[in-house]
Amino acid sequence: MTLETKRIIIGCLGGLFLVSLVFVQRLETVRRAEEAGLRPAHVVAPASSVDCVECHQETNPGIIDHWRGSTHAEKGVGCVECHQAVAEDADSHGHYGFVIATVVTPRDCAACHPAEAEEFARSHHAAGGNILASLDNFLAETVEGATQPFDPHSPTPGRPMEPVNGFASAFLGCQQCHGSKVALRATDGGTVTVDDLQPDEDGMPTNADALGRILHNDDGRPLFDPGTWPNTGIGRLNLDGSRGSCSACHSRHDFSPRRARQPENCGKCHLGPDHPQKEIYEESKHGVAYRDLTDSMNLDAEDWVLGEDYSAAPTCATCHMSGHTRNDGRITHDPGERISWTNRPPVSLPMDTDAEHRIVTTADPSERREQIADTAEAKRTRMKEVCSHCHTPDYVNAFYRQYDDFVTLYNEKFAKPGREIMVSLLEHGLRTPTQFDEEIEWTWFYLWHHEGRRARHGASMMAPDYAHWHGMFEVAERFYMEFIPQAREIAHHAETNGQRPQARAVQGLIDLILARPEHAWFEGDSQ
Amino acid sequence: MTALSRWIDGRIPIEPGALRELTNEPVPYHLKRWWFALGGTPAYLFVVQVVTGVLLAFYYQPHPSTAYESVRYITEDATFGWYLRSVHKWAATLMIAAVVLHQLRVYFTGAYRKPRELNWMVGMLLLICTLMLGFTGYSLVFEQLSYWGATVSANIADTIPVVGGFLKRMLLAGEAYNERTLARFFVLHAAVLPGFLVALVAVHIALVRIQGVTELRFRDEPPQEEGKFPFIPDHIYTELIIGLVLMVLLSALATLAPATMGPLADPMTTPEEIKPEWFFYVTFRWLKLMGGTAAVLSMGLIVFVMFAWPFIDAWFRRRTPFREASVWIGVAATLLIIGMTVWEALVPH
Repeated sequence: MTLETKRIIIGCLGGLFLVSLVFVQRLETVRRAEEAGLRPAHVVAPASSVDCVECHQETNPGIIDHWRGSTHAEKGVGCVECHQAVAEDADSHGHYGFVIATVVTPRDCAACHPAEAEEFARSHHAAGGNILASLDNFLAETVEGATQPFDPHSPTPGRPMEPVNGFASAFLGCQQCHGSKVALRATDGGTVTVDDLQPDEDGMPTNADALGRILHNDDGRPLFDPGTWPNTGIGRLNLDGSRGSCSACHSRHDFSPRRARQPENCGKCHLGPDHPQKEIYEESKHGVAYRDLTDSMNLDAEDWVLGEDYSAAPTCATCHMSGHTRNDGRITHDPGERISWTNRPPVSLPMDTDAEHRIVTTADPSERREQIADTAEAKRTRMKEVCSHCHTPDYVNAFYRQYDDFVTLYNEKFAKPGREIMVSLLEHGLRTPTQFDEEIEWTWFYLWHHEGRRARHGASMMAPDYAHWHGMFEVAERFYMEFIPQAREIAHHAETNGQRPQARAVQGLIDLILARPEHAWFEGDSQ
Repeated sequence: MTALSRWIDGRIPIEPGALRELTNEPVPYHLKRWWFALGGTPAYLFVVQVVTGVLLAFYYQPHPSTAYESVRYITEDATFGWYLRSVHKWAATLMIAAVVLHQLRVYFTGAYRKPRELNWMVGMLLLICTLMLGFTGYSLVFEQLSYWGATVSANIADTIPVVGGFLKRMLLAGEAYNERTLARFFVLHAAVLPGFLVALVAVHIALVRIQGVTELRFRDEPPQEEGKFPFIPDHIYTELIIGLVLMVLLSALATLAPATMGPLADPMTTPEEIKPEWFFYVTFRWLKLMGGTAAVLSMGLIVFVMFAWPFIDAWFRRRTPFREASVWIGVAATLLIIGMTVWEALVPH
């Protein structure tokens, strides 16, 4: 073999080696950049979901693009892993060779995330669907809407004369946050829900009759009641008996932990006149720091442990859910674990909870001791562990003293007296049991549900304007300028209508309340 | 003679003519081609590694509790730290590539044959030494993949019969990765292996000087008598040009693809995907194909054959009619190595 031939061989092999080196280095550089989080990870659809990805890339590219950016995609969790179902599931159907279900419930997520699902299931979030029988829902279903469909009373140009759905406000307003009771359309014109299916502890329906009544389309797909699905309310009542929707916070289909860590995520529901936590947070020093230092929040960190991965500012998730250095980085999916007051009801209560995570309401000390499984103080201690990453114990304790004093002031000066007057009016027949059919019921609702909550939430999250001007100022104005005059007016009206004993009882109560030192400035001084 | 040169000559009595003789031996004409000058390239890159390595060592702290943070400090906070670390990383890659290219040239031109068998073996030791430098350097970052890479490597060493356990303990400074392991890697990387490499390079060059550069004569070269040119300045210029091109290349690579950091090592969590550095892809793929002790023993056999190749080749050429068998074996082996490296790079796991 000549030297020239060998030179060609060396040249070819050397060139091939250099080309392969460049190729391998390119892959290596990309892999390292992905590992360092500098570029999205390369995603290969798992074998089970290759067909789904190919088809939905055409029909719903947004779904696939979001999924490609998810940790699920990185770890080989595809479409089938979450959507797969068995034929016995109420909402299952065949789909190109797979048996799938449209709605992915916490029970499905629990297959891989059991601890998170368990924590969530015992949280107040999971009970969000309980609103379906509450005062708030009465507003949406009855006051704002109608419990029965009704016909339009005049034509709307361009729209057919179809019956009006009286639940529309409840479906789109309340239930998109609180969660719907997912329903399938039935062959008899009604619906099939979890109440009908009576699922066992594994989520499998036990009522064959209800299963048989489910209406399917020509492809065999069960038809959802469009009022109840789509819905990502956090307390959704699912067909398999589970409660909630993980995608309420972990938006599908990228299930981004980064997004769940940001206050805007919670702001889908925690805002507005009755619970403006998002706006309160933005007013607070915490929110101001977050807005300024978002780039230092390390929101893409894998564990996102306060004190290790970041300490620039707290978000909602930081204080209520995330891991920190004092608890070994343990995340909780029960945001109530660190809350020591519930400011949801008209009168705030300490978050002493029983084994079922319900608030213990009895006043009897021995009964309380017996029932309480997790005290408000223990919850507060957990929150203080978070606070202590940036504040000294004296600072934190003094803040909690300010907060306790504020809630107690609201409770004792306005909430308890207001509630007593409302109960007295009802007991003496001076208002009807029907809510919102009398002006004072709206006034009282504004007082505790809107202004009272704003004040308490503002105090709890260090937003002085919400504590005062949007809060206690409006509570006081509502109480003195509207609530008390309206209550006196009702009593006066009753007295002129021959209900003197009842009127005297209510007037006596109002006098008693206003004679208290904290109210003496009002009528006492003016008299 | 000036006073200064007289002063020096009085203390270091070396004849200028002898010095010129020592450093400026005429080299064969074929070395005019730059791709025949690849022997000097790893040496140049080694100097780059020493300079950048010393600067990096000012900041690096070889302990599990501080190593990762010190590398992060170098990468993100120290002035030009990212550049030094990136140049160090890319120079290591290019150094290994240059060693491989040099070895390819030596192999296919038969430059390892008598009387240069020993120098081939010294070259093999230099290759292994360079790969070990790459391995220990990668492990120093104490990120998840480098930690598990070192652990897996130690476990592989453990499968070697008789001496495996000893090798593993020597590598890890104990039965498992512990607080002393990183210090051991650091000493190996920054002192022992470079010292060994310098000694080997000295022997390598001495043998080249003693035996002379293999003379290859291409058809387009001048006749024998005119077929040499001076080492200084002609060949030095070639080496300088290669060095300058390499510096530009290193700076470009360091800027366009700077060294990054993976997640901190977590001894409690085995990563789903473990990959060694690229130059061990071929052995990693081999391990996956063969598995366990068989892979380790076969790898040992391959390394032995590579060491002893001058003698095996001589036996082939004496005893068989296949005088050019080494070329085709080399072609097959090179394609196999490139193929397995690319294969391993392409598969996620």
